[in-house]
Amino acid sequence: MSMTVNGITIDDTFAEAFGMSGTGIIITADSMKWAKIAATVATGFGTSVIGAGAECGIDKELTEDETPDGRPGVRILIFGFSPDALLPQVRNRIGQCVLTSPGSACYAGLKAEKSMPLGKGTRLFGDGYQTAKKLGDSRYWRVPVMDGEFVIEEETGVTTDAVGGGNMLIVGRDRKGLLETAEDAVAAIAKIDDVITPFPGGIVRSGSKVGAKYAGMHASTNDAFCPTLRGTIKHSEVSPDTLAVLEIVIDGLTSKAVADAMRAGLKAVTAIGAKRGVTRITAGNYGGKLGQHHYHLKDLI
Amino acid sequence: MSGLTLRFKAPATERITLAGITPSKLSALSSHEIANITVGIEKDGIALGDAFDISGSSGESLTIEGATPEIDFIGGDLDGGTMRVIGNVGSYAARKMSGGKLEIRGNVGDFLASGTTGGMIHVSGNVGDNLGGVVTGERFGMLGGTAVIEGNVGTRAGDKMRRGTVVVRGKTGPGTGSRMIGGTIWAEGGFGPEPGLMMRRGTLIGPSVDSLLPTFVDCGKHDLVIIRVIARYLKTTLGDLAPKPMPLFVQKIGGDTATIGRGEIILPA
Repeated sequence: MSMTVNGITIDDTFAEAFGMSGTGIIITADSMKWAKIAATVATGFGTSVIGAGAECGIDKELTEDETPDGRPGVRILIFGFSPDALLPQVRNRIGQCVLTSPGSACYAGLKAEKSMPLGKGTRLFGDGYQTAKKLGDSRYWRVPVMDGEFVIEEETGVTTDAVGGGNMLIVGRDRKGLLETAEDAVAAIAKIDDVITPFPGGIVRSGSKVGAKYAGMHASTNDAFCPTLRGTIKHSEVSPDTLAVLEIVIDGLTSKAVADAMRAGLKAVTAIGAKRGVTRITAGNYGGKLGQHHYHLKDLI
Repeated sequence: MSGLTLRFKAPATERITLAGITPSKLSALSSHEIANITVGIEKDGIALGDAFDISGSSGESLTIEGATPEIDFIGGDLDGGTMRVIGNVGSYAARKMSGGKLEIRGNVGDFLASGTTGGMIHVSGNVGDNLGGVVTGERFGMLGGTAVIEGNVGTRAGDKMRRGTVVVRGKTGPGTGSRMIGGTIWAEGGFGPEPGLMMRRGTLIGPSVDSLLPTFVDCGKHDLVIIRVIARYLKTTLGDLAPKPMPLFVQKIGGDTATIGRGEIILPA
């Protein structure tokens, strides 16, 4: 049975999410502006593991008191299928996007039982002029660069308890109002620690289903939720007054963080959405057989 | 907190060595066995029970009261728990210590923290020569852990030191960081003459240096992120014992260029 909250229909369904591996990295710089530039570039093209290799985003901004070097910084999260799959992603993103960014430094952003290389490969850029400094259990590499030294911690933590693909589909009859509401939901989710929304601005307009009629395509358009196909396909899920559907996908380091993020997102949508033309919230799943994690919308309202 | 207390029955008739007398080792022994451990160095030896009054029950901590400079190797092989020492002690304290905390309320002789791989050492007084230095026949001096010295230290502190952190609230003697291979020595009272002879890597941080070797070169004034990382690490782990942070800009003196020259002396710019 679906329910109605503030005039918005909440489907009796669940978001189906998958176990993933995730890591956290702290990027600092001389100013928050440059920390964010490095973090934004390092997490760029990190929307879906299907095509981008990793799902990445900025988790939160850190004050001077929260970073290892007392400078402003941000914490980014990177998710992949396995720790091994994360390895080249972390190496390349840090090597190409953080090492190169003026004034940057890079530290472990996750404490976990398992660890993975962070600066182990990047240090070799120092061509023998790099030096290490071990403080407690952490080893920091100092790589001479043209604006001073790039400091990077040797390892960061990696968890295999991460969850990828928590989601909600927001259905509406006004595109502008729908987008504004989705933006509010993304902003509410951003306040939750240990989660990211990896798609552009946190929002996906091209929700997908598994498989396609074409060989080699692992995913294709979620036709049941394409408003322009209503009427021409029998399995359409959209009602006559629906103009658009937007999806928010959430990756988190723990299942609880993903649930908290979905709860925050649903609260934001139901608080204001009806006035902006939002009519319904549903979620994406594959019948419950593929993903280990199920988030029932009714439990999160 | 349960623990044993050993009160030294001065004066000793011979030098006493307390290597391996640690909370974890004693807690595995009966009181009879503890009293029979040989701690003398001469042929007949002297038993722990003859040299010390033993009280309390063995546990996480061990207190040694009335210590004198005849006692060597205090805290040697310490691997956990806490050792408190009241009085001045001899040489080789914390030798090959790997964990736990050694607190000495007094002065310490030579070769403190030689071969140490971990743990925390806190000395309220002065320390003699070769703090964290290499012992003849070995390759390295201090290999890890942290030592905080409230007073001054003697010559050649950190000789062949490879890792670990030494904080000196006072001043160091001549030749600090000689043959150093890594690690950090932060001397709040400054460095004595000619530090870093044949230093390969490692970091000496302080407000001043009496004189420099001609093989050390000025690398200019820099805003080094790693100095901030070290300062923050020390503040987090040592609290009030941490040295005052360096100014944002520091002068880097590189050397010893008589060898590979990857070491550095960091002074206020």
